[in-house]
Amino acid sequence: MAAPSSPTPSGQAPGLTIEQRRAHDPRVTFFHVLVALALVVLASGLAYQQLLKVDTHAEAERVQNQRRIVHPGPRGQILDREGRVLAGNRPRFSVRLLLDALRLEIRTEQIRIRRNYRQLDDAAAGDLPSAVQILQIARATVVQRYLDQVNALIGREEKVDARDLDRHFARELLLPYTLLDNLAPAEYARLLEGLPVNSPAQVHTASVRHHPHNSAAAHALGYVGTGDAGEIEDFPGGDLRTFKMKGTVGRDGIEKRLDDQLQGEAGGAIFRVDPAGNRIHPPLQQVLPRAGQDVRLALDLDLQLAAEARLAETEMAGAAVALDVRTGEVLVLASKPDYDLNTFSPRLSAATAADITARGAWFKRAIQGVYKPGSTFKVLTAVAGLRAGTLDPAAKISCDGSMRVGTRSFSCHDGAAHGEVDLVTAITKSCNVYFYRAGLEMGPEVIAREARRFHLDQPTGIELPDETRRMLIPDPAWKRRLTGEGWASGDTVQLAIGQGFVDVTPLQMACFAASIARDQVWTQPYLLHDPARPPQRHEGTGLNPAQRAALLQGMEQVTQRPHGTARIFQDPRVLAPLPGLRLAAKTGTAQKQDPKGMINFAWLIAFAPVDDPRIAVAVAIEGDTPGEETGGGRYATPVAHAIFKAWLEKRNRPPGLPVQFRNG
Amino acid sequence: MPFKRISQANPLLTLGLIVAAWLLLPTAVKTVARASFFELTAPVTLAASRVRDLQDFWALRARSRTELIEAGRDLARVNASFELAVQQNGELRAEVARLEELLRLSPLRDHRLEHARVARRDFSGWWQRIVIRKGRDHEIPVGAPVVFSGGVVGRVSEVHATTAVVELISSPTMRLAGVVEGDTRPISFQGGVNPTLAPPRGVVELMPLDIIASPAVPKRLVTAGFGGVFPPGLTLGTIIRADLASDGLFKSGEVALDPRLGTLTEVSVLVPVAPASAPVRATP
Repeated sequence: MAAPSSPTPSGQAPGLTIEQRRAHDPRVTFFHVLVALALVVLASGLAYQQLLKVDTHAEAERVQNQRRIVHPGPRGQILDREGRVLAGNRPRFSVRLLLDALRLEIRTEQIRIRRNYRQLDDAAAGDLPSAVQILQIARATVVQRYLDQVNALIGREEKVDARDLDRHFARELLLPYTLLDNLAPAEYARLLEGLPVNSPAQVHTASVRHHPHNSAAAHALGYVGTGDAGEIEDFPGGDLRTFKMKGTVGRDGIEKRLDDQLQGEAGGAIFRVDPAGNRIHPPLQQVLPRAGQDVRLALDLDLQLAAEARLAETEMAGAAVALDVRTGEVLVLASKPDYDLNTFSPRLSAATAADITARGAWFKRAIQGVYKPGSTFKVLTAVAGLRAGTLDPAAKISCDGSMRVGTRSFSCHDGAAHGEVDLVTAITKSCNVYFYRAGLEMGPEVIAREARRFHLDQPTGIELPDETRRMLIPDPAWKRRLTGEGWASGDTVQLAIGQGFVDVTPLQMACFAASIARDQVWTQPYLLHDPARPPQRHEGTGLNPAQRAALLQGMEQVTQRPHGTARIFQDPRVLAPLPGLRLAAKTGTAQKQDPKGMINFAWLIAFAPVDDPRIAVAVAIEGDTPGEETGGGRYATPVAHAIFKAWLEKRNRPPGLPVQFRNG
Repeated sequence: MPFKRISQANPLLTLGLIVAAWLLLPTAVKTVARASFFELTAPVTLAASRVRDLQDFWALRARSRTELIEAGRDLARVNASFELAVQQNGELRAEVARLEELLRLSPLRDHRLEHARVARRDFSGWWQRIVIRKGRDHEIPVGAPVVFSGGVVGRVSEVHATTAVVELISSPTMRLAGVVEGDTRPISFQGGVNPTLAPPRGVVELMPLDIIASPAVPKRLVTAGFGGVFPPGLTLGTIIRADLASDGLFKSGEVALDPRLGTLTEVSVLVPVAPASAPVRATP
């Protein structure tokens, strides 16, 4: 038993707590009540938060712990008629920097930079940069620090483009900044291992358009630009923090025209993340993206490459079009100069864009270039005269090398006298005088009416955007309406040989050649391939068999020696033989007044085989030197020859064997 | 009374003063203190590990002679098969050297194997690490690959004088470039969020679409060797699932890792051998 302790100086017994001593002290009781009330408040609050606000907290927890990622669906591929890829997709690897995670680092750097300037007494000298400048320096320094890490890992020496970085901060702060793009597999593999998982710099993948044949059919395929990833139907988590990857949108060519079809359906996933933001697999919810539909074009890659290679050899601007005579499907749609479509992925640089502009390569000469058809138009004049009855195939006229119309003398195409010529010879030798007379006899309205019957006054309606509407078939009423002047005889003779005011596109002339081949007046061109497409049937030309035979005989002799204007088709010293292939063609050389002088344009329309036409071709080459004789026979024929050669090789090739093209 | 009440708060005041002092200490002092902590506690870890070894030793001492004889016989059999394997390896090495010479391939960066005993395992949902009984004294560098008979164990993340911390490949903060055996296209491998007692798993991303893997048709994932840290061809695990990823460009999937990762007792650190021209650091 403990001995009673002596009272303390304050008079209280030792060994007792204040509570024991003052159990009934009103002041202590007050505190008891206060504490009890506080506990009740806390318990009520806890119950309120845990029972009544459970949904709110669960929602907040969900928003904090889950992330939503939306990816665009892969774009559909563009294939040629045999299923070969013209435009596909490939992954692109880049290193991106998450700017959100750099705020503290940039702030620290700002302070450090300001302190350094002050220590250097620059402030006193008035050289202290402004707050904005210090911020820009700090941003560039921090970003360069991460870029140096990447450089060290993959052995590069890249520098941050400060202007580009400022632009990104000003306009796209919420999006990651791309440090390096288009990484090679070995580079991104090194970065995967070298960059910490929670680093603001991370490897990123995206899909970009890939063109295995670079510039092949560039104007027909078109290109894509950056677009929205799209929305996913009935995909929850709209309130979650969403990372939306950029998609693509067609900007030109078939990519633009069939954008809805090519565009894939976006997919996405909702992931739970750890406190560092790392994704925890598997995703809580996932909607797989769906690839867009593939588009199969009527183009034949082999023919297209052959045409483009030969066009490029001319080192002049030009276009070549080839059609399937029966269906109107476009086998070749080539235009030079053009551009490498791969330079558009991921984005076109300003320097490349300037180069394309300087070369005039944006211009789609096959569907936008309007040219005087020159002597190729004589075929139409012949049809018009034969149908009007003013031209007799057997009748001969005398060509002495020129013809006077009014006060002006019009010469024959080569200035030589052709002597006595009938329709076949006139076509074979491209005698202007013959067609001057034929034109004057039938009159301009007849020629114009026939040209309109062949739809040469309107766009073809091919499935491409931007086909020109500037084609022109003139007649006296048009001239009076436009200039207020009357139609002169000189205008008629010019029209009869495809000069003067008439303007057509290479695609139109290819359609015209295909129509002549089928003995019909219209060929609707199709860029999309349909294996079940029926042969086209339109109004006939109205020529009787004898007239048609004369026309075809003339066109066939154009390709033959000794007088045909496209006789190099048969000259083995110039072009490889096309054994067994009967060709019908018409060359043309049109003139155009240019600020530099008179420029020649080389033309050729052709089809083959003559007795069972399958393929029709039109080629137009722009001369680039004033006064230079850029004739259709010399410049356009080799391009058409390349197309026919490739076509013939494919036709004669046993199934399954690849075709080999040779230049020359 | 007021004086006495303040004196009762002395412990709190002391704690507050210590916290304030820690906050005000220069960063260098704090770094040294933090590093010293690991060095000071290392003997405890090592002692515990050695006690466990001793415990195992005495447990083995309790075995009967018959059991030991049987174990010795089994061991002799295993040794014989290993001797055969060593001979075969020697022949294969010679063949590889001959082919490298023939194809003029540059020799791979050589490594020295530093065997180390596992002192401690530190597993949680967020990281998976082991502490090994070798460190700076054995020239183990940060980032060195660590392997065992089943493939890759992980990478050295911290090095102390006598211990080193190894981050396992099952840890979610571990990422490597791998390739499917027989393929050359790099794939991203990352450790998964693994519950403590569950079989270890990882995830693969950026896997080409033409690679098919399932539990029935698993694919072996090996190191790519592109990163410059891990030599190529070391086993990471087995891809047992591959599904189209949400971006539609690649597949992502699941990798089953070697279940022995959770019970490792002995590992080997691949210490890069310095080139002949480089000065060799003297060991203390």
